[in-house]
Amino acid sequence: MNSISEYFHTDWQAMTTNDWIGTILTVVIFLLMVVAYFQVFRPKNRERLEARKYIPFEEDNAFSGDKDGGK
Amino acid sequence: MESGLEQKYNFDVVRWFTIMAAVYLVVGASVGVYIASELAWPFLNFDSPYISFGRLRPVHTNAVIFAFGGCTLMATAFYTVQRTCGVRLWSDKLAWFVFWGWNTVILLAVITLPLGLTESKEYAELEWPIDILIAVVWLSFTFNFIMTIAVRKTSHIYVSNWFFLGMMVMIVYLHVVNSLAIPVGLFKSYSLFSGVQDAMIQWWWGHNAVGFYLTAGFLGIMYYFVPKQAGRPIYSYRLSVIHFWALMFGYVWLGAHHLQYTALPDWTGSLGAAVSIAMIIPSWGGAVNGMMTLSGAWDRLRTDYVLRFLIMALAFYAMSTFEGPVMALKTVNALSHYTDWTIGHVHSGALGWVAGISIGAIYHLMPRLFHTEMFSERLVNFHFWTATIGTVVYIVAMWVSGIMQGLMWRAYDEYGTLAYTFVESVDAMHPYYAMRAIGGAIFLTGAIVMLFNVLMTVRKSAVDGSLVRARTVPVPA
Repeated sequence: MNSISEYFHTDWQAMTTNDWIGTILTVVIFLLMVVAYFQVFRPKNRERLEARKYIPFEEDNAFSGDKDGGK
Repeated sequence: MESGLEQKYNFDVVRWFTIMAAVYLVVGASVGVYIASELAWPFLNFDSPYISFGRLRPVHTNAVIFAFGGCTLMATAFYTVQRTCGVRLWSDKLAWFVFWGWNTVILLAVITLPLGLTESKEYAELEWPIDILIAVVWLSFTFNFIMTIAVRKTSHIYVSNWFFLGMMVMIVYLHVVNSLAIPVGLFKSYSLFSGVQDAMIQWWWGHNAVGFYLTAGFLGIMYYFVPKQAGRPIYSYRLSVIHFWALMFGYVWLGAHHLQYTALPDWTGSLGAAVSIAMIIPSWGGAVNGMMTLSGAWDRLRTDYVLRFLIMALAFYAMSTFEGPVMALKTVNALSHYTDWTIGHVHSGALGWVAGISIGAIYHLMPRLFHTEMFSERLVNFHFWTATIGTVVYIVAMWVSGIMQGLMWRAYDEYGTLAYTFVESVDAMHPYYAMRAIGGAIFLTGAIVMLFNVLMTVRKSAVDGSLVRARTVPVPA
């Protein structure tokens, strides 16, 4: 057995309930992050997401009569 | 427009939180300078237990983190959520309950900690009755914030509110679990956890207080106030979304890096260190996102003193979020842990990032809340330089002191015995402890100047009647 396989060796029989909860949560969070990266950097979503950065200025523009939100 | 906003929103509670934040910065920094001086010149203890370092140190940390930081977060969260949701706070009464409740907590901390009433948990020293009050007030703050978002007029929840909300939810969870204790009297309790589990829970709370309270909350400030002060939208909204989720999912793992080389299982510390290194990516992404907001308008930094605070804070955020992960690595940690390097790291984050972004937000808010110009722009500039120079002097002193400590403690002679006694290492620290006290005093000078400037701006507003005018002038429907 080389050192890498030794390092990653897991005694699955010895896994407790806490270990399983932690493992499953870690994998689920990892997958959710992959989905988040994919969605955020998908070119199709760019315009929709970037349009939201003008929200802090919408009220100023509304008061100044600029109804298009300053975009 | 100013009158319209004044009459539409609840800015009263924001005004009070803002002023109290300026007051508490002076109080917290004053205690900090005093205890730093005690370490350099121990006669300042005056043989009184009430003002000894051990009792005043939690007064300092509670004052700067929860009094100054808390009031800043509550002021900015209540301001931002109204401005970005287009609605008044859901409940004015609940907002005032939060104001008085939070200030009562601070008052109780200032009374009980010098008396030695403490749970002895770092950044969570207050005894169990005060812990319950904190939970009630924080939940009220959270509930009011959530309900304001729920009744918003905008379709999307702006990203600064995500960061504020992430902080609120996580702090409820962290505070309640870490504070679980068995009371044995009105002023005494024992932690529900013991041994290494207690240490792990303590640092799970401790580092997440840094991650969610001192980072996520103040990033909420950054994502609103940097674009508003610069007059330009955030550089990349998509990057801010990734920044948020990476921070929320990643930060909770880091606490174990505080317990390297202890009874904690070795893999736990390795995991803490590995995720710490991974966190450099979202942290730097966020810092670059804030800085690049000025892309094409860097010249603004020459004239806009408030923007200088905000951008300098981001530079410190980038620096300390690189330094922290490096210190989490076991090889570096073997040198840095238990030394003043840690104190230097904490203060580059606390003074450079947290105080910097807070001060920038306070200066941004003051003219908008009191409907008049700041009393003195030159004093704002003076404050910028004292805050920056004071911070740099402080952290350089602690870097040199800390690395010297670490090297002296691990030095062996040819016979395998320690080359220095502990007392020799303490003696070698003296010049740096004096330098740290001076750096802190320079920073404190700036805080006092800000408080003066803030109070004079309030007076100016009262004299010229700008606030009364904004409240009463008829606003077209």
